[in-house]
Amino acid sequence: MIINEALIDLNTALDTKEAVIRHLAGLAKKEGRISDLEKYVEAALHRETEYSTAMGFGIAIPHGKTSAVTEPFLCFAKVDSVDWNALDGNPVDLVFMIGVPEEAGTAHLKILASISRKLMKQDFRDSLRNVTSNSELIQLLQNSDLGI
Amino acid sequence: MNILAVTACPTGIAHTYMAAEAIEDAAKAKGYQVKVETRGSVGVENELTAEDIKAADAIILACDTAVPMERFAGKKLISVSVSEALKSPEQLLEKALNATVYGSSNLSDAVSAIKEQRSAERKGVYKHLMNGVSFMIPFVVAGGILIAISFLFGYKAFENEGTLASYLKSIGDSAFALMVPILAGYISYSIADRAGLAPGMVGGAIAILLNAGFLGGLVAGFLAGYIVLFIKKAIKLPKTLQGIMPVLIIPVLGTLATGLILFYVIGKPVAFINQSMIDFLTGMSGTNAVILGLIIGLMMAFDMGGPVNKAAYAFGTGTLVAGAASPVMAAVMAAGMVPPLGLALATVLFKKKFTGAEREAGKAAWVLGASFITEGAIPFAAADPLRVIPSIMVGSAITGALSMAFKATLSVPHGGIFVFFAVGNWPLYILAILVGTVVTALLLGFLKKNMEQ
Repeated sequence: MIINEALIDLNTALDTKEAVIRHLAGLAKKEGRISDLEKYVEAALHRETEYSTAMGFGIAIPHGKTSAVTEPFLCFAKVDSVDWNALDGNPVDLVFMIGVPEEAGTAHLKILASISRKLMKQDFRDSLRNVTSNSELIQLLQNSDLGI
Repeated sequence: MNILAVTACPTGIAHTYMAAEAIEDAAKAKGYQVKVETRGSVGVENELTAEDIKAADAIILACDTAVPMERFAGKKLISVSVSEALKSPEQLLEKALNATVYGSSNLSDAVSAIKEQRSAERKGVYKHLMNGVSFMIPFVVAGGILIAISFLFGYKAFENEGTLASYLKSIGDSAFALMVPILAGYISYSIADRAGLAPGMVGGAIAILLNAGFLGGLVAGFLAGYIVLFIKKAIKLPKTLQGIMPVLIIPVLGTLATGLILFYVIGKPVAFINQSMIDFLTGMSGTNAVILGLIIGLMMAFDMGGPVNKAAYAFGTGTLVAGAASPVMAAVMAAGMVPPLGLALATVLFKKKFTGAEREAGKAAWVLGASFITEGAIPFAAADPLRVIPSIMVGSAITGALSMAFKATLSVPHGGIFVFFAVGNWPLYILAILVGTVVTALLLGFLKKNMEQ
């Protein structure tokens, strides 16, 4: 599974981009998806410097492609309006964080691609915001035809 | 309206697909037909075909990395960043439909675009080989030219230690020493990615050790590349140990396996074949040499920089690695210079047989030909292949044969007139090129019809 309940946090009180990335990376580390936390955080932050991964609509999808990732993962967090230099200038309240090893299998990459596409849909974003428990989120993702 | 788009971002994980979705949604909302090619980490998906492009009204490139462009020549095209497509896809559609037409009328630009497209289209074994050759060429050029310069001080000037000539020779020799390892390393890199580089380069060094030369380098490169691919597939480590695959397992096992196979199995036979080839080439004289030159000429002109041309070219560079200045390399370069030169001359001699644009392009063709860029003939050949290609093939074949007959030699793999100082027997070499150029031009004048007024 690319995502499980331990990779989700619906109640964070973090207020900076880096803190959110670090927190989610911690979850991934605990789940054994990352071997080197600092290396992953660095890769994700470096990606942010190219241009912000906050695509607008209150959503950010930080991601890191590095050998520090041992198994592809997807993390999800609800945050309290964090400033993420979004394309539309709005703060972010939903964060999907992605980790991919240097040589990831196509199946995982396809899932991430289809989630990225899905995030462009208003009704999907609304459903994400209405989720109240970790298991509910997993269910939503599984029922969204993403190949999860 | 019919809109096409290409999306690509640096990591290729998320934004490539978001931008694709944004453009698709915006276009569908307006009732346009739309197709989006995504170039992400999964590879190229939903690739635009030639028919798609032909039927398109406008093209949107939302890319933060380089993508092949030549295929869009003659289409309205707008190129923006990925974030632009996410921000305002509707405006992007507007802008695309009002964009200027992409494509250059400039011959040099068109030629470099063709070269770029061709290298993007290369597949399989040929692609791996050309990757190795293209990384090797700078070493051959640097080494060949520096050694040639050292000879300008006198043929044996480098034997006096501590002189500039001896240093130039040493620098050149050092560059030459790296040629085969680089060739093997980058063939392997093309096959197995970064992990293939070390086993490939070491394999190349072993090929030199075994006196297997250029041919040994080719074999070592392919061997190392496929061995590394095999190791990647065959060895599955537990998750916690996966980190040591690229830093420990692949370099050690890949290099070891490549090396042992070279030493125990294929090294000696390849060295024997390599030596026989060199003996054959250096021993060849008279009629055989002329026939070889003829064939090289036909190949160089046949597809002007395509696979056949590159096969002859790679053969030529292989004879350089064998040491000393090479008559084969000289014939290859001369024959490769003739097609653009012959066409350039024809546009001057037979103005009525070329369009205004072609006569203009003829001026650039002089420069391309003189620089040994055979692709300079492509635009002319594309317009009238049945008359142009036979003409240049005959001209190049004559030049190749003459170059061999005159025993001209060349010690560098590229450069056209700029490396004529590295040519042995250059007065007759120039004569060979001139004869081929004139023959090509006269044949064109004879075969091509006058343009309608």
